[in-house]
Amino acid sequence: MVVPTDERETEGSGAAKPGSVAFTAVGVKKHYPGVKALDGVDLEGYAGSVLGVCGANGAGKSTFAKLLAGVETLTDGEITISGFPHPVRNAAEAEQAGVLMMHQEPLIIDDFTVGENVWLYKLREGRDIRPWATKVDTNGAATREVLQGVGLGHLSTRQLARGLGPGQRQMLSLSRAAVTKHKIMILDETTASTSEEHFNDILSLVKREKEAGTSIIFVSHRLNEVFAMCDRIAVLRNGTLVKVLDAAETDPDEVTALMIGQALKALDRPAPVHPAPDQVPVLSVRDLHGGSANGVSFDVNPGEILGLYGLVGSGRSSVARTITGQRPAAGGSIKLHGNEVSLPNPTAAVAKGIAYLTEDRRLEGFVKDFDNGENMSLVALPQMATAGVVDGKREKTRIRELISEYQVKGGTKTYTRNLSGGNQQKVVVAKWLETDPEFVVLDEPTKGIDVGARSNIYQIIHSVAARGKGILVVSSEAEELLSLCHRILVMRNGEIVAEFDPENATTDDLVRTALTHEG
Amino acid sequence: MTATPKAPPVHHHEEDTSRGNAVSTWVKGQYALYILLALLIVATITRGSIFWGRTNLTNLLLQMSIIGVVVLAQLIVVLTGGIDISVGSALGLAAVVAAGLFDGPSVLLGLVVALAIGAAVGAVNGWLVAFRGLEPFIVTLGMLALARGLVYAYGNGIPINPEAADSYARFGQSTLLGIPVLAIIWLAMAGLIAFLLYRTVWGRRVYAIGSNVEAARSSGIPVKSTLWSVYILAGLLVGLGGWLFLARFASGTSTAGSLLELEAIAAVVIGGARLSGGYGKVFGAVVGTVIFAVIANLLSLLNVSTFLQDAFRGGLILVAVTLATVQIVRKRKSTSTPAAAH
Repeated sequence: MVVPTDERETEGSGAAKPGSVAFTAVGVKKHYPGVKALDGVDLEGYAGSVLGVCGANGAGKSTFAKLLAGVETLTDGEITISGFPHPVRNAAEAEQAGVLMMHQEPLIIDDFTVGENVWLYKLREGRDIRPWATKVDTNGAATREVLQGVGLGHLSTRQLARGLGPGQRQMLSLSRAAVTKHKIMILDETTASTSEEHFNDILSLVKREKEAGTSIIFVSHRLNEVFAMCDRIAVLRNGTLVKVLDAAETDPDEVTALMIGQALKALDRPAPVHPAPDQVPVLSVRDLHGGSANGVSFDVNPGEILGLYGLVGSGRSSVARTITGQRPAAGGSIKLHGNEVSLPNPTAAVAKGIAYLTEDRRLEGFVKDFDNGENMSLVALPQMATAGVVDGKREKTRIRELISEYQVKGGTKTYTRNLSGGNQQKVVVAKWLETDPEFVVLDEPTKGIDVGARSNIYQIIHSVAARGKGILVVSSEAEELLSLCHRILVMRNGEIVAEFDPENATTDDLVRTALTHEG
Repeated sequence: MTATPKAPPVHHHEEDTSRGNAVSTWVKGQYALYILLALLIVATITRGSIFWGRTNLTNLLLQMSIIGVVVLAQLIVVLTGGIDISVGSALGLAAVVAAGLFDGPSVLLGLVVALAIGAAVGAVNGWLVAFRGLEPFIVTLGMLALARGLVYAYGNGIPINPEAADSYARFGQSTLLGIPVLAIIWLAMAGLIAFLLYRTVWGRRVYAIGSNVEAARSSGIPVKSTLWSVYILAGLLVGLGGWLFLARFASGTSTAGSLLELEAIAAVVIGGARLSGGYGKVFGAVVGTVIFAVIANLLSLLNVSTFLQDAFRGGLILVAVTLATVQIVRKRKSTSTPAAAH
């Protein structure tokens, strides 16, 4: 047990009896303009127990987490936290009541050291602003122990957080659980940006928290993780609570069925492609350098879905970004339909018919002040215009078609930023496919997306491949690649180390190849 | 265990598309119009007969036209998330050079010269901002001093009277259907900018860059050249403003356009544009322009000393901007747009 946790118990705020009620939500509603994110949810959480909150995109699970943490204001209903005199109204009160929120996007200050980031909430908690006041020792043994507890023992407490990868940032934010007083811990899609390698660290962290009597809420749609972690599972659908299940008495199939409201159709494996011997690949990459990619070569044939697997930092994203002009290549050649192309910037890539579905949807995926319609037509707009003047009628008609084709929740005038992750992703996918690209790169296409929207997106990918286009799917989820791709390449240390046929490869094969040094 | 096996109600989102609602939302958002209305009421009560007189209204329109085109220039720059504080100096430079080059023999040549000067200034600003990645504030701050210095150097501080001063004056006083031609030029420019912003690919790109430059870049929008074109277009408008100045005063004074940047930025903000970019409308900018012209006009009519006028104007900027933020805060509370999405 980490030292500061003892401090927490002696101060008494975390000393809840296991099994006692930690929070009660009654009739919770949250409406955004055009979207009812939550529409009357009653839910209870208990000390020393993990509650999984599952649901499809837009089911309202992240909204529920935000309301509990007071980050968002309730439209109606109330949330009471045991030990706190009145219903929680804002983030400050929630924090006082002992709610610790772990956001989907970890709150890390780049210009602080790793140690300072661990103690971030504590640094702020101190009201003592005298310059000579004793400060928390951010580089001491306690900090080291905290870092080891989340699998970051190899980091120096003095290094800046700037250079950390997404997974490490998430773990670093989780490390604060050990030094911050809390009774309720919310993990909002925390595993979305971490690779499989960090999951065990999260599991052991959750176990320690349970023993300390914390009530934990795990918001996710990765059912295997939910089942590995949770005691109870609450299933949300379209803003209402469908059912609360005992994790020991149910199985992923039942939860999935409740989440989407119907039995899930198994995803068909794509029809195999047989390239003719003299066929020119859609994209041919030779000895590509750039970022962490270090001499990468591969071909993608027409109609082929190629998978690219690797751990965070293996160079998979560098490859994706380099062949789409998002970052300049440092060397090597890229041929599109047999013609050498130079891609100094995204504009050049788009002009050549290369699309890039970004991994970072919020930063690069959509424009935050644009509604769904404007976002969907962003890339293809020149094609809807004559001499630079947009054909308003044509754009409107096309957008309406796209909204219903991709089943985007909310209308054309709803701001994309108000939608759930899955619906946002549909908008971004629609934006790219509207240009009818020759070659599509999808970087983590189902990151933060539930089962229902996931199979939607897989179907879309299949139909694009069926039209003879080339597709590269970059993912940190081995299972996804195994069910989606014709061929899978595994990257390690900036190089491609193995190729697998998904017909006779397993998740284990991919993960082991990506991890070990023998290949 | 709290198992709630009740059937989930059918979920449906509703989209506000009813016309009446759209109109009332629009009216609620136009706080600039209310400020204008209040000003007009004050004007009517205090100096009604003079204020609404033909001479005064013509004067008012003439005043607005010069500031008006500069406000439009400021608007498109602000939409990209930038700011241009060199507009006043650039206008002065365009005016004096247009008046002085070849001794200002013709009105049309003056127009060409003024536009060229404006475009050149805009091109330098834009190049530094777009291709060198410098902060718009610093770049245009430097340009502000540079251009003003050139204005003083060019005329040695003495007003430059072009040879064609009479033609300028005649043109400046000409009207079409009773409306000053200068005002018509201004409104035509407002229409043109509105068309470019709302109806063209270029306009959509400007908003996209201002709102989220990373998404714009990633989507293949040529960010740098679009930014550059914005600054050049702004420069052209400022150059046009310099030419309108000549037409109004028939003389290129070395103080032409000084402190204009202040009014231009304030008018854009009062018109509802967001200084961080991505949000703002031409209509708002036009209303902002009118507000400032009416204030200046009213202060003169009320015999407020010229020294105090600047203070009044500054105070009003503060009041208006405060009102604007009150509006935004209330809007956020009532619709609760997720702040986390920003």
